[in-house]
Amino acid sequence: MRIQDHPILDFSKGRKVRFWFEDRELEGYEGEPIAAALHAAGVRVLSESPVRHRPRGFFCAIGNCSSCLMTVDGRPNVRVCVEALHEGMRVQKQRGGRGDLA
Amino acid sequence: MSGGPKKYDAIVVGAGPAGLSAAAELGRAGARTLVLDRDTRPGGQLVKQTHKFFGSEKQRAGTRGVEIARLLREEVAALPAVEMWLNSTVLGFYSDRVITVERVKDAPGEERREWLEKVTAPVFVLATGAAERFLPFPNNDLPGIYGAGAAQTLMNVHGVRPGRRVVMVGAGNIGLIVSYQLLQAGVEVAAIVEAAPVIGGYLVHAAKVRRAGVPILTSHTVKEAHGREALEGVTVWRLDEKWQPVPGTEKYIAADVLCLATGLSPLAELLFQAGCQMAYVPELGGHVPVHGEDLETSVPGVFVAGDVSGVEEASAAMVEGHLAGLGAAARLGLVRDLAAVAAGWRAELASLRAGPSGEKIRRGLAKLAGQTAGMAASSPAGSPVSPASAPAASAPAAPPPATSAPKPGKPGRTLSPQLTSTGEPAASELESSLPPADRRRQGPYAVIECFQEIPCDPCHKACRTGAIGPFPDINLTPAYEAAHCNGCALCVAQCPGLACFVVDENYSPSEALLKLPYEFLPLPAAGHTVDLLDRTGALVGSGRVVRVVRSRSKLATPVVWVTVPSEKVGTVRNIRVPATKGGAAE
Amino acid sequence: MSEGGERDENTIICRCEDISLADIRRLVERGYTTIDEIKRLSRTGMGPCQGKTCRLLLMQELARATGRPPGEVALGTFRPPTKPFKLGLLVGKEGETRDSQDTGGGEDDGGQGGAAR
Repeated sequence: MRIQDHPILDFSKGRKVRFWFEDRELEGYEGEPIAAALHAAGVRVLSESPVRHRPRGFFCAIGNCSSCLMTVDGRPNVRVCVEALHEGMRVQKQRGGRGDLA
Repeated sequence: MSGGPKKYDAIVVGAGPAGLSAAAELGRAGARTLVLDRDTRPGGQLVKQTHKFFGSEKQRAGTRGVEIARLLREEVAALPAVEMWLNSTVLGFYSDRVITVERVKDAPGEERREWLEKVTAPVFVLATGAAERFLPFPNNDLPGIYGAGAAQTLMNVHGVRPGRRVVMVGAGNIGLIVSYQLLQAGVEVAAIVEAAPVIGGYLVHAAKVRRAGVPILTSHTVKEAHGREALEGVTVWRLDEKWQPVPGTEKYIAADVLCLATGLSPLAELLFQAGCQMAYVPELGGHVPVHGEDLETSVPGVFVAGDVSGVEEASAAMVEGHLAGLGAAARLGLVRDLAAVAAGWRAELASLRAGPSGEKIRRGLAKLAGQTAGMAASSPAGSPVSPASAPAASAPAAPPPATSAPKPGKPGRTLSPQLTSTGEPAASELESSLPPADRRRQGPYAVIECFQEIPCDPCHKACRTGAIGPFPDINLTPAYEAAHCNGCALCVAQCPGLACFVVDENYSPSEALLKLPYEFLPLPAAGHTVDLLDRTGALVGSGRVVRVVRSRSKLATPVVWVTVPSEKVGTVRNIRVPATKGGAAE
Repeated sequence: MSEGGERDENTIICRCEDISLADIRRLVERGYTTIDEIKRLSRTGMGPCQGKTCRLLLMQELARATGRPPGEVALGTFRPPTKPFKLGLLVGKEGETRDSQDTGGGEDDGGQGGAAR
């Protein structure tokens, strides 16, 4: 899903890094949003909704809507659409709610 | 978080086109200014705008949004009085004018840090922008259903395609522009679905996607989305004159992405917290702060600019930013004669909103002005723009050539229902864009397929021969006199709407030469055979590329010269590079 | 369940708290027609996004249900914070916040959640 050549834009990317999504090892570019790296790897379902257990992905991609909350390196409720990817990160789906919220 | 808040002269929240423009004015006036943005790069949504802007020179018309973001960043970075905190989210605006900022430092190889800071200032410019609207329909939360801006961020900022096949909801400027940009990124756009009976965005944007073969389904809406884990398809259906869905008109469209471009809502939480008087004005996007022409809200010293003050084009956001910045600087006593300094910008803003495309904004601002009447701290010049606004004071007034001067289009021109509902001009409209028959036989001439009054003038600025005259009002359609045109095609490369073409009917006994704008990859080269497409993207023949005029910068629009069978020169408006030798692409 | 009912169950208004159009319509049938009432009973708009995505949809639905223009539906309150942040940041030192709880965003609005579930 990565754009190789674009008629207008050139994309400057950080170095390639490896990270974990659930039990899969994936590749992305350092500093890009985690959601972009996941999407490029074909991952569109980022979580299960808290009550109805519906699959959810991101919606706004700029940190407004909180549809993309995931657990990153043990930190829950991270908005992965605006959180930078780093080498070795462990990214997990949140299932059945945000455990640490009331 | 300890001690009192850090003190500045001015605080600007949001580093988009409005916020950066405000910061530039404050910084130039010498105000110690803090700019806050939650993103890691300044520029707001400009950083994903690959299209050229409309408007006039002062709003950098003809320049792509990404480039405007860079220019604004550099302008502000050069001002020593301005400090910028990125990755910094304002959590709250408290009654003592203190704001709390959540700051994050997240550099590779360093431990992540988060902390809170309190800051305060006597004046604020809140330029927080707007959020994309969500739409209620069954399965509207499936992964693959994204805001159109989200898809744009993913592809234009991060270089990742949102999917393979997209259905776009909304034929306003965002829906049309993002559809075109999806095509440029190599994504198929199955259809643009629009609930209104007419296309809401600029018709030149509609023409660009139509000639690439994308249908625009007006009077249609989404019935439901389908998919198990993620989106697999969308059912759309037709709406009748009363906006009620018509059973039996359902159409299933396979798609892995559905983009919602159904409008923006101002991100006004900080304004509510600051205690600004708010009004619900649908024309401006929802709840907006009551404000006067100087962009000051009901809370003295709290100014607004950009989409949060009323959703509008980014060109207007920049002008508002300048006005709010000047107003705030005047509050600090750093600008002496505000009325004089702001007059140019006010005229710019009035001129941007003066045409038919600004009608909705004018209506919204008039409603807001009704509220302003009851506002204590209103500006002396409280009335918003007048519909029949006078041309901008700074508008170029170069005299047109003495003989056969280009005549500007008459204001109030009516557009054909075919054009407004499908994006394809009617025969009469096409006829009106052509020079007289005897002129057509005399050599190359420009065809300007710009029928709608929108605020835009780069074609005049590009023209070196005086064939495209000055705009007494930038909302008029271009004033073109073919007698002065030499077919140089500078307007083809400059027009932000890609609506200019050059035709040479005398290229050969059986062929005409067409010069057209082409912003896709692969770019053909001289000698290549390409498919010729009409204004709906339908294949109508094949032609030979004679030349490709391009600049070293990728930001300039390449112009392709292609041969066209003589009888089809009025029909062909696009090309397609066949995917394989002799075969059509996809 | 009727077709319309199922459609409403699958139409999500508030993504954060997973509130469907059917949930909202049930509350309206019970006589709750203001944003604040619906918010307190269902937590609609009290999740991490603080209503940025759902507030307008809720307002439109309440306007439709009550026959009022959308501008006349009372908007409810807007209180800081605009997004959740870690409570530890208020008391702790920088960097010592990993295990502390998030502010639930909107907890200061009463936090009487869950009634509609």
